[in-house]
Amino acid sequence: MQIDNFPQLASVAQIEQGFESFGYICSTKIATAVFLACQLRKPILVEGPPGVGKTELAKTTAQLLDLPLIRLQCYEGLDEAKALYEWKYGKQLLYTQVLKEKLGDLLKGAKGLAESVERLHQFGDIFYSEDFLEPRPLLKAMQQERGAILLIDEIDKSDYEFESLLLEILSDYQISIPEIGTIKARTSPMVFLTSNNTRDISDALKRRCLHLYIPFPSVELEERIVRSRVPDVDAQLRHQLVEFVHSLRQLDLKKSPAISETIDWARSLLLLHAGQLDEEMVRSTLNVLLKFEDDIEAADAELRALLQGGRPG
Amino acid sequence: MQSKLVSFIQVLRSHDVRVSPAETLDAMAVATTLGYANRDLLRDGLAMTLAKTPAEEAVFLTCFDRYFYQRLSDFSRAQELADDSSRPETGETGNEPGEGAAAAGDAAPLAAAAAADADIAALLASPLMQSLVDNDRNELTVAIGRAAEQVGLRQIQLFTQKGQFTRRILDAMGEEQLRSAVIELERQESPALAELQRYRDILREEVRNYVEREYLLHAEGRTRQFMDEVLSKTRLNNIEHMYLHKVHELVRKMARKLASRYSRKRRQVKRGQLNMAKTIRKGIANDGVMFNTYWRQVRKEKPQILAVCDVSGSVAAYAKFLLLFLYSLQDVLPKVRSFAFSSHLGEVSSYFDDYPVEKAIELVNWKYGGATDYGSSLQDFARLALDDINSNTTVIILGDARNNNGDPRLDLMQNIYQRSRQVIWLNPESRRVWGSGDSEMLRYQSACHFSAECNNLKQLERIVEQLLKSTH
Repeated sequence: MQIDNFPQLASVAQIEQGFESFGYICSTKIATAVFLACQLRKPILVEGPPGVGKTELAKTTAQLLDLPLIRLQCYEGLDEAKALYEWKYGKQLLYTQVLKEKLGDLLKGAKGLAESVERLHQFGDIFYSEDFLEPRPLLKAMQQERGAILLIDEIDKSDYEFESLLLEILSDYQISIPEIGTIKARTSPMVFLTSNNTRDISDALKRRCLHLYIPFPSVELEERIVRSRVPDVDAQLRHQLVEFVHSLRQLDLKKSPAISETIDWARSLLLLHAGQLDEEMVRSTLNVLLKFEDDIEAADAELRALLQGGRPG
Repeated sequence: MQSKLVSFIQVLRSHDVRVSPAETLDAMAVATTLGYANRDLLRDGLAMTLAKTPAEEAVFLTCFDRYFYQRLSDFSRAQELADDSSRPETGETGNEPGEGAAAAGDAAPLAAAAAADADIAALLASPLMQSLVDNDRNELTVAIGRAAEQVGLRQIQLFTQKGQFTRRILDAMGEEQLRSAVIELERQESPALAELQRYRDILREEVRNYVEREYLLHAEGRTRQFMDEVLSKTRLNNIEHMYLHKVHELVRKMARKLASRYSRKRRQVKRGQLNMAKTIRKGIANDGVMFNTYWRQVRKEKPQILAVCDVSGSVAAYAKFLLLFLYSLQDVLPKVRSFAFSSHLGEVSSYFDDYPVEKAIELVNWKYGGATDYGSSLQDFARLALDDINSNTTVIILGDARNNNGDPRLDLMQNIYQRSRQVIWLNPESRRVWGSGDSEMLRYQSACHFSAECNNLKQLERIVEQLLKSTH
């Protein structure tokens, strides 16, 4: 079975609509990427500033297809024992104990060493078998009967070695375990990798992926996103707040406010019963949008100009 | 269309976008899946497989627009004509609405001239003239394309060749006939002259545009590669100021390349934290008795680099480039400490961290420039950094070792030599003049693991590669 016979992913427009019904408003480019990923059975490498909905894309796809989302959060020092598989050592130990006790029975009547060894060989080698295999996220994604959405989050935080570990999985959807052999995916999962660009991803990995860069959205798109996430905010305020966030992004900040922050801000304004943006209100809620003291100070200084610029006309 | 795609990928490659054969196949699959009907969709789809960084994507978009410009705009033009039949001859020059009508009016004298002169009649009957008179842009583009193929336009290398190729294409298309007809009509002072001249100008304009576009597609990248090649072999102090930023790019590219190639980290066993899983697993072989213990491994960063750079007048031109290289290296490698000196020495790592490159180099030059005194500089260096020098440290010194006959303080150099993993001396002067005059190079050389002449980027690249290899 392949993941590409989902009717929800039949065309770019359909994907766009499907996402929208789950509250994920996306550009055509994003929908195209998902469409291609499932048609060509290729992973998508999603890059972009933090908070533009990279992780959300994978989650929504999982919802849309009603498949399990298996997530692997990358960090420095992540290795195969945590990402791929691990042996169940405790059980293996117990097994050796059991085997030792049974050994006498098994070898009863065997004459000489050669025959004993031969008899031993007749038993299957279950010590290193799938029974003693503890699947970690990557292997788990391969084992799903209906397929899965595999999200490898923040790949840039992992080490270079880990990237090479991924290559086999990404190109052939299989995992080689030295003791057992190659395990092929029952249904190839759909893979999303996300990166915040803290370091360059190796060419080998990039070559195997579709590359999708998600920038900050346009005013119009962001308004739609806010409308779908915080439907109670009235149209005028929504326009004002999105315009304001956009003008904030023009400033030279340590961390520009992302979509998630716009949404949080819209929610806070709603809670405060704000009818429209005024200087006082913005000043007191600025900490929802900006996370660094320096940034808040910088924005504070320009607040009036920003608000003026933010208004239409 | 497939071959179009392949040659488009060639164009991308010449613009420094790396596209592997596997990605080419992917691009084909994308094009087949998405179809050619929707231009934006196709562009986005191709961008995902062919451009893998934001920078590459920007290049991709420019190339895409340039490459698929002609065909698409022609179709739209043809469409427009078909839709809007009330304007019989939309002027090719396009910007004046009245022109079409004027052209229609002018067609009559040309026909009259043709009736009077057999040569002109023959000319009018030629396919070239037909397409011009009928305003059949598709036909014209195809004809230009064919002629371009014939004269090998794709081989265009330098912008100086543009005129030459334009002329050759015009010749191949039979423009000569048109030209002689214009001269003939001029002699006769025929009313059809303006009309025919206009056609001639259109043709020339079209061909010139075509050559320009092809040049941008095929040659621009190649010219740049050529320049890079030449630059990397030029002695650093001969490179003109205007190419400085190009060199900076090159150095950055190189530093990045080297850093990514050698950024493998070393593993080291750290005592104190037991690796339980491994200990049990290895213990199984001993009947579950944990005979050997295994410890968690931690990664160790690459060895440290201390770079010392002479910025005195005599090596100023080179120092700028080593500083540039250090700056880039410090950007990509974790542990680089930089020092600069002439009469005294100081650490400049913080400048490199805090300021953009030009500013940092300027500041360093301003602060440490002057007459050279290796003795006291080494003394400063020993005071600042000797304690940090251990068997993992690589010390790089750039300088001409011309000490103005002062005390070379070889003892300090020896001390550094003994403590460090390796000492590398890069001298911009040619090996032949080492030791001549006030040069102490030969003496310093005895306290270096490695010394080399270094005055162009190629040499520098080779040396740094060697350096990175040996720090493993």
